[in-house]
Amino acid sequence: MKVPLSFVLNGEEHFLMIRPNRTLLDVIRVDLGLTGTKLGCGQGKCGACTVLLNGEPVNACLILAPQVNGKEVLTVEGLGGDALHPLQKAFVEKGAVQCGYCTPGMLMTAKGFLNKHPHPTKEDIRAAIAGNLCRCTGYKNIAEAIHSAAYESGNSPADSERDDV
Amino acid sequence: MSDLHVVGKSYPQIDAREKVTGTTEFVSDLVLPNMLFGRTLRSPYAHARIVHLDTSRASKMPGVKAVVTYSDTPGIKFGPRSNDWTIMACEKVLFEGDEVAAVAAVDEDTAEEALDLIRVEYEEIPAVFDPMDAMQPEAPLVHDDKPGNIAFEYKVDVGDVDEALKNSYFVYEDSFYTNQVYQAYLEPMGAVAAVDLCGRLTLWTGTQIPNMMRMTYARALGLPPEQIRVVVPDYGGAFGAKMENNVHLVAAVLAQKARRPVKLMNTRRDDFLAGNPRVPMYVDIKLGVTADGILTGKDVRVVGGNGARTIYAHAIVATACYRVDSLYRFRHVRAMGHTVYTNTVPTSCFRGFGNAQMTFVLESAMDAIAEHLSIDPAELRLKNGIGSGEVSIHGWRIGASGLAECVERATKAADWAGKRSRREPMRGIGLACCNHVAGNRGFVQEFDGGAGMVRIGRDGRITVYHGESDMGQGQKTTFAQIVAERLGVPLELIVVAQVDTDVSPFGLGSFATRGTIMGGNGVLAAAANAFRQLAEVAGEMLEAAPEDIVSENGMFFVMGAPDQGIPFMDVIEAATRKQGGAPLVATGHYIPPTELPNPVTKYGNVAPAYPFACQIAEVEVDPDTGHVTVVNFVAAHDVGRAINPMATEGQIQGGVAQGLGWTLMENMVVNEGRVANASFLDYEIPGPLDVPDVVPILVEPVEPEGPYGAKGIGEPALNPSMAAITNAIYNATGVRINRLPVNHQMLVREIKKRDHS
Repeated sequence: MKVPLSFVLNGEEHFLMIRPNRTLLDVIRVDLGLTGTKLGCGQGKCGACTVLLNGEPVNACLILAPQVNGKEVLTVEGLGGDALHPLQKAFVEKGAVQCGYCTPGMLMTAKGFLNKHPHPTKEDIRAAIAGNLCRCTGYKNIAEAIHSAAYESGNSPADSERDDV
Repeated sequence: MSDLHVVGKSYPQIDAREKVTGTTEFVSDLVLPNMLFGRTLRSPYAHARIVHLDTSRASKMPGVKAVVTYSDTPGIKFGPRSNDWTIMACEKVLFEGDEVAAVAAVDEDTAEEALDLIRVEYEEIPAVFDPMDAMQPEAPLVHDDKPGNIAFEYKVDVGDVDEALKNSYFVYEDSFYTNQVYQAYLEPMGAVAAVDLCGRLTLWTGTQIPNMMRMTYARALGLPPEQIRVVVPDYGGAFGAKMENNVHLVAAVLAQKARRPVKLMNTRRDDFLAGNPRVPMYVDIKLGVTADGILTGKDVRVVGGNGARTIYAHAIVATACYRVDSLYRFRHVRAMGHTVYTNTVPTSCFRGFGNAQMTFVLESAMDAIAEHLSIDPAELRLKNGIGSGEVSIHGWRIGASGLAECVERATKAADWAGKRSRREPMRGIGLACCNHVAGNRGFVQEFDGGAGMVRIGRDGRITVYHGESDMGQGQKTTFAQIVAERLGVPLELIVVAQVDTDVSPFGLGSFATRGTIMGGNGVLAAAANAFRQLAEVAGEMLEAAPEDIVSENGMFFVMGAPDQGIPFMDVIEAATRKQGGAPLVATGHYIPPTELPNPVTKYGNVAPAYPFACQIAEVEVDPDTGHVTVVNFVAAHDVGRAINPMATEGQIQGGVAQGLGWTLMENMVVNEGRVANASFLDYEIPGPLDVPDVVPILVEPVEPEGPYGAKGIGEPALNPSMAAITNAIYNATGVRINRLPVNHQMLVREIKKRDHS
């Protein structure tokens, strides 16, 4: 049996019929073909599948797709526009990216966090990304990239982009 | 070499933009037309006979396109080094997680459901899980043709160890255990397999060793190697694990049977159960010194758990037996290594390759000796450390050694002397050193070297081909920097091709910290060849001898006349026009001055260069809970020249984080052959709150053999971390840690004992 699903993904409305046990992650990756969001554990522990649901970071592997009916989802594909988002730019420049598999989830967690806490301390940042695992970097450059995106970009992410999800 | 323009400078990874926008296609993101999805049925038992196996219901399920078992495979016994593998279990399962059957279906849900319809009846048989137990005479055999469960034995005996120890002022003697840990890269293993009409197999997979894997898999599938093509897309980490594994072969067999492409990715649980985790080791050590702290002799016995099939555990145990002997000026060493079958997951490479295990042991012993002799631990290392131009006991020719500088700079940065003298309760500081190889002649017997190819099209696109593997460490960027430097063009012009065995030069792969020195020298040689061709054309254009042509930042000019240069684009335009549009193609190679170690004496220079390191950890211990917090960490590494300092520092920070995880958090818990914590919920790796800001220090002696003086960094980044932390724990509490990971209850108990005594 399939049920209708209607939601907004990266600003675009989608209507599809899905099996009700389908996860948001499968809908995004398999049904809609946006593979930027990653599967790391399927248990909500590693954070590789983090997306924003009405602005809040969630593990897409733990969300059943029907739960997002009428809601707005933002994935890494919707983060920047023609130019990179300040977070993406900072991740590139600070060497926060090694294999890159955790990167989309990290970015989305950071985005959701900075929306609410535009002026975080380094400790706040570490705590904010505590639900995202990275095996390559040791986190230092990731935390620095988020810090730099919060403070060094011309426009504060919190002011300019609060409304985009 | 202060006139370098691209090498030695920090650049973001050349493909970082794709990675932050989610457009990088990882193995698990690949989709081919008509592709099926695979799932593997694994044994729930550690050792059992398969009495009955019925796949008929699964085969009939709508949406299922192929179900395979051992009988669908060629039935060839094979293996990377020992023919103790089959593709899927034949008659017996040998460990929990052994492949029994697999399904390919139109979607993942269907494949998963179909697994439930496969009926297997098992009859459990006696099993053995610990390598020490497996060596007992009455132990059950994992393989009937492997008496005593011995997979391999390794022996090295140089000098007169008994005499040296007898004449020592002090002999430290103790036993250690290093546990089995999981690499925990974020993207699980897997492959997309497709078979064409002629039966030719293509595997898209994240592998560190595309070419060696292809040869192993050709034997497994009964195909000539040219009938297999391995393509390496971007992939999410490896740390040693992503070498040969049955998951790729199961994907291939499914694709052969279904006659459609199949994607088979391990679930995280699959990956825990049947990835290639670290070799657990029991080590007994005797280490002798003179009264003034000069090492006299070393005697070790190593027992390593091979698991049920041989991947590379035997070579890892061999490495544990003797690599550390070239860190210090040893004169008498002996080691006996036993690699032992057990009914557990086959074990293999994980950053450090056995040297990580033995460095923990040796550097713990050094710490204890320093205390016994009342010598500063840093001083003890400096007294014995091997130096530039020396030849080690095993014939390793040390080119540049930055070991002493690592010790000096790390101790200074960490305020070692100050903190050792200012004692605070439950706070301590510890130090450990390591050596390593950059490349290892002993690992692949056939040959050693690296190769590259540079193709420059009429459009000016410079593509670099190599046969190594970027698993996320940034190798593509390193190679691009080397080629840009040599050609005198901006980094932006360089593209590094996906490794594809149909096109790329043969390369042994990324392991043994060999990528930068072997692959880097290979692409450097190719770039030098390409430059010669360009200089010839530019020379004609500028009416000068090719030898007088230089290039800088995309301009070719006669040496000394930079004002009258011609742009690279004009040169390549002229070059390709002259040859009817053919691209400029240049290959190059590097053959290192290494030797295969003598099979008996083990004497032989195995690597072109040897990296060194000194790491210092500072910890706080909670005496009530045994919880250890690493509060500061300094890591000084002799990497030769850092081609890309930011990337090199990133390797160090990540390596230390893994070492911290191993020391304080990680352990594959095996109860009666069952892995009790096969998930990230139960097997915790360090998160952002567990890892301090590691302070990396780059020590950069120019290595004569390295590309622009580089050695390598991958494995040494982790090697000393465990002992640095446990030596700090000793400094804080007086408790010597002999087993990894640190056991909290044991630590609390031992701290209490010391309080009461």
